[in-house]
Amino acid sequence: MHGFRRDKKEEEDGSGSHSLLHLDKSSVLQEARATFNGTPVVARKCSHVLTKILMVLNQGEAIGKEEATETFFAITKLFQSRDQAVRRLVYVCIKDMASISNDVIIVTSSLTKDMTGKEDEWRAPAIRALCRITDAQMLQSIERLMKQAMVDKTPQVASAALTSSVHVARTNPEVVRRWLNEATEAASSSGEGLVQYHAIGLLYTARKHDKLAVRKLVSKHARIANRSSLACCLLIRIAAKALEEDDSVPNSGEMMDFIEGCLRHKSEMVIYEAARSLVGLNATNPKELAPAVSVLQLFCSSPKPTLRLAAVRTLSAAAAIQPAAVSACNLDLENLMSDGNRSVATLAMSTLLKTGGESSVERLVKQISSFMADIGDELKVEVVRAVRSLCEKFPRKASTLSATLAQMLRDEGGVEYKSALVDALIAVLHDDNDARNAALSHLCEFIEDCEHTSLATRVLHVLGREGPKTARPAAFIRYIYNRVILEAAAVRAAAVTALAQFGAHCPQLLPSILVLLRRCALDQDDEVRDRATLYIAIFQSEDQSLISSFISGEMHYSVTALEKSLKNYLKTSCSEEFDMKTVPIATPLEQGITSGSAPGSAPIEPVVARAKATVKEDPLEKVPQLAKYSPVFKSSGPLALTEALTEYTVSCVKHVTGSHVVLQFTCENTLTDQLLEDVWVQVEGDLEIVEIVNIDELKCGVQQSCYTVVELPDVDNLSSTFTLACTLKFKVRDCDPTTGEVDDGSYDDDYVLEDIEITVADHIQKVLKADWAAAWEELGPQNELEDTFALSAMNTLQEAVKQIHSFLGMQACERSDNVPEGRSAHTLLLAGVFRGGHAVLVRSRLALSNGVTMNLSVRSTDPRVSNLITQSVG
Amino acid sequence: MGIFSKLAEWLGVKRKECNIVVVGLDNSGKTTILNKLKPDDSQTSDIVPTIGFNVENFSSKSLQFNAFDMSGQGRYRNLWEHYYKDCQGVIFVIDSADKLRMPVAKDELDQLIQHPDLVSKRVPVLFFANKMDHRDALSSVKCSTLLKLDEISNKPWHICASNAITGEGLDEGVNWLSDQIKSYLRDLERRRR
Repeated sequence: MHGFRRDKKEEEDGSGSHSLLHLDKSSVLQEARATFNGTPVVARKCSHVLTKILMVLNQGEAIGKEEATETFFAITKLFQSRDQAVRRLVYVCIKDMASISNDVIIVTSSLTKDMTGKEDEWRAPAIRALCRITDAQMLQSIERLMKQAMVDKTPQVASAALTSSVHVARTNPEVVRRWLNEATEAASSSGEGLVQYHAIGLLYTARKHDKLAVRKLVSKHARIANRSSLACCLLIRIAAKALEEDDSVPNSGEMMDFIEGCLRHKSEMVIYEAARSLVGLNATNPKELAPAVSVLQLFCSSPKPTLRLAAVRTLSAAAAIQPAAVSACNLDLENLMSDGNRSVATLAMSTLLKTGGESSVERLVKQISSFMADIGDELKVEVVRAVRSLCEKFPRKASTLSATLAQMLRDEGGVEYKSALVDALIAVLHDDNDARNAALSHLCEFIEDCEHTSLATRVLHVLGREGPKTARPAAFIRYIYNRVILEAAAVRAAAVTALAQFGAHCPQLLPSILVLLRRCALDQDDEVRDRATLYIAIFQSEDQSLISSFISGEMHYSVTALEKSLKNYLKTSCSEEFDMKTVPIATPLEQGITSGSAPGSAPIEPVVARAKATVKEDPLEKVPQLAKYSPVFKSSGPLALTEALTEYTVSCVKHVTGSHVVLQFTCENTLTDQLLEDVWVQVEGDLEIVEIVNIDELKCGVQQSCYTVVELPDVDNLSSTFTLACTLKFKVRDCDPTTGEVDDGSYDDDYVLEDIEITVADHIQKVLKADWAAAWEELGPQNELEDTFALSAMNTLQEAVKQIHSFLGMQACERSDNVPEGRSAHTLLLAGVFRGGHAVLVRSRLALSNGVTMNLSVRSTDPRVSNLITQSVG
Repeated sequence: MGIFSKLAEWLGVKRKECNIVVVGLDNSGKTTILNKLKPDDSQTSDIVPTIGFNVENFSSKSLQFNAFDMSGQGRYRNLWEHYYKDCQGVIFVIDSADKLRMPVAKDELDQLIQHPDLVSKRVPVLFFANKMDHRDALSSVKCSTLLKLDEISNKPWHICASNAITGEGLDEGVNWLSDQIKSYLRDLERRRR
C-alpha cells in the first residue's frame, strides 16, 4: 500500500521522463566515458547520454577542467558515428563545453570536414561549433572556409556562417573585417531572406563605429528593391539609430526618405517598423509624423490583435511627444477602447487622454471609471499618470480630474497604485490654487481610511504644509487630530508635526492647537510625546525666530551629511559648540526624495530616505589624503577638458569645501601602446596649489582620477571668477599593444587641457524656500544691495531667466523660473546658501525693452556676500 | 549488439567494426594514406594539414575500420593518448625520406609503446615507411633499424614500404593489420570467457 502510494506521487510530479530528472553529475560523466569509448558505439544509447550531459551542463553545475576535458575527448570519439541525431547532439555538446574544457581545438579538422562535406544537415551546425571553439590564433586557418560558407548556395549554411561571424566579430573584429566582401555578396543575393538579414546584421556589426560606412550601407541596400522583410526591418533600425545619434549628417535626408518609403512596403512588419522608427526619432515635427500616424491608424482597425497592440502602443508613445499629430486617430482610438483585449483598451485610453482636447476630457474620464476595475495595477498606474499630465495641461479641468482621482482613491488597489494617485493629487494642489481645496479635502478623506503608513504620513506632511495657506485651515484640524486618536505611532507622530505647522502659521488657531498638543503629550509612544512636548515648549517661548527655524521653516541640511558631521563631532572633545554651518546643504533634488519625511514626519520613513541618500557618498572620503578637506559643500557636474576621442580624455569635477577647491580630474588613456605613470594635472592661475594626488599608473582604457587641491582666499579677497590653466603631466612608457609588455625607459610629457573657471555658482548651493517672501522679510534690509543692469545680448525674458539662473547657480523659488508667455516683465526669485553657511536671496526684476533690463536686489546674512554677487553679475 | 547484427556478421554480410589510431610526425602522409584507402568515389584531391583529428571510415575484406587520423604537428601530439584507450590497432606512418627527424619519430613511438593504455595490450602496430618513391627514401629495413623495431617484444608489428599517392604497398599492410586485429579480438573474446 505504502509503495503504491509513493509511485502515484511520483507520477503526479510529472516525472514521466525519469531518466532526465535528478541527474548526478559524476555518474553521468562516468556513463558518458563508458558509452562513448565502446566499439562499436550504439547510436541510440549515445544520444541519450549526450542529452543527459547537456542537461547537467544547463543545470549550471560546475564541472572541473579535468573532468570536462576527459568527457570532451570521449565525445569527440562519436565522430565515428554517422547517425544524424548523435552527430547533431555532438555539435551542441562541443559548443557548450568549448569554454570549460581544454584542447577543444582538437575537433577543428573534424568540423571543417563536416562543414565542407556532402551532408547538408551537418554543415550549418558544424560551422557554429567551429566558430565557438576557434580562438584568435586559429582563426586564420578557418578564414577561407568561412568566406566560402558565407556565399554558399544553401541558405542554412550561409546563415550559420554569417551569424557565427557576428559572434566572432565581438572578440576579433579585425579578422572579420576581412570577410566583409563575402558578406556584402551574401547581402545582395536575391535568394533566401534570412541570409540577407544575417548578412546585413554582420556588415553593420563590423562597421557600426564608422558613421560614414553605416550611411553607405543603408543607402546601398535601400536601393535594392527585392529585399526580404526582415532585412528591411533591420535596415530601418540601423538608419533610425544613425539618425538618432547624429541628425546633422549631410545625407540624412536620404535615410529619412528610405524610412518613409518603407511605409509603403507590402509587408506589415516593415510598415510597422518604419512607423515606429519615425515616432522614435525625437526630432520629428508633426508634418513628418503624419504619414507614420496614418499607417498606424490603419493598423488600429486590423483584425490581428498583435498589430492593434503594436499600433496603439506606438501611438501612445507618439502622443507623449506630439499629441497634435496623433489626434487624427482619436476616432479609431475610441473604438479600440471597447477592444476585447484589456491592454489594447487601456493603451488607447491613455493615448486619448494625452491627445484629447479640453472638451472631451470629461467624457473620457467618465469612461475611465467604467473599466478601471478590470485592469491590473500597472495599467492603472499608467492611466493615473495620463490623468496627471492632463491636469497640468488643462488647469481649468483640474477640479473635475481631481474628483476622478479621488474616486479612484476609494477603489481597491496596491500601494504603488495608491501612491501614484497621491502623487497626482499632490501635483494638482501644487499647480493650481483653485483645485487645492478640493484636492486637500480628497486627501483628508483618503487618510481617514488608509492602511499604508507611508502614504498616510506623506499626506499628513502635505496637509501640514498646504493646509494653513487655505482660507479655512481650521477645517483640516479635525482630520489630523483623528489620526492622533486612531492610528499607529508613526502616523500619530506625523499628525503631531502637522498640527504644529498649523499652530505656527495660523496664530488665531494657536490656543486650540496647544490644547491638542497637550493631549498628545500624554501619548504612550515616545516619539509622539517628544514631538508634542518640543512643540509646546517652542510655542510657549513665543520667540518668532525659534518658531520659524524649528517648525515653519524647512531644513535644508542633507540628513546623511548631518549625521556624519555629528558623528565626527562626537569623536572630538566636544569642547566647542557644534557649528551647523559646517553641515553641507542638501540640493533640492535630494530633498525631493526626502520631502515626504524631511521635517521628521515619522520615525520609520527617514530610514528609507537615508538608505537612498547614502548612495551619494562623499567623494573625498574615499581618498585618504583628501579626507581632511571633507565635507564637500558643493560638487559641480563633470566638465570635459578635452575633445571627445582624443589621445587622452580628461574631465573635471569641482568639489568646493569650506576653504578649498578639490579638483577631481578623471583621466582615460586611449592609446593602446602607452602606459602612463605619475599622472597629475598642473593648474596655473590666481590660486595656489596646496596638494596633489597623482595616479601611479594609468593603463589604456581604464578611468582613474587624480586630484589637485587649491586654496580659496577668504570672502574679502574673493573675486567673482578664477581662471585656471590646466596641463596634464605624466611619464610615458611605451608598451606593446598585443602582449602588454612594457619598455623600461620612460620620458616626461604633457598635454594641454582646456581652462577651468571657478565661478560664483560654485560657491552657492541651491536651497528651495517654500515661502520666499517670508524668508526675504526675515533676512531684513540691512545687507541689501541693489543694482540695475542692461542685458543687451538677450532677446527674450525666458532666455535671460535661464542665463541668470545658471550663472548664479541658485534655486528658483515659487516657480519663478517659468516666464508666462507674452509678458514684458517678470520677477525671478532665487535662494541659496553661500559657502560657509550664509543664506543668500536674490530678487531679479526683468523688463523687456531693447534687450532686457534687470534690477537685481541681493539680501544675505553677510554683507560681503551680497557685494560679491552684485559684482559678479556686473 | 543486437541479435540481427550478430547474425549478419556471422553470415558475412556485415563486417566487424574496429577502431584504429593513425599517428606519425607531421607531413608523413597519414591523411593521404587514409584518403587512398577510402572508396574511389569519396576521395578528395586537396589534402591540408590536419588540426586535431579526423575520423575516416574504410574497409578491408573482412573488417570495417574507424580510423582516427591524428594531427602530427608538435602541439597536438600529446593529444594522441586520448584515443589509445579503446583502439584495436595502430598505424604508425614514417616519412622515410626524412632521415633527420627519425629520432623524433623514435621518441614518439617509444612514448606510444610505453603508454599505460597500450603497454599491457597486444595491440598490433603497422608501420608504413611512406614516400618510398622519393629519391632519398630509406628502405623499410633501414627504417626499422633506425627506429629499433626489433626491441618491440610485446606487440605484433609489421613494416612495409608504401607510396600513398599511388597506393602501392597499402593493401599489403592493411591485410596484415586486419588479420592481426581479428586474432587480437578473438583472443580478447576467449579471455573474457
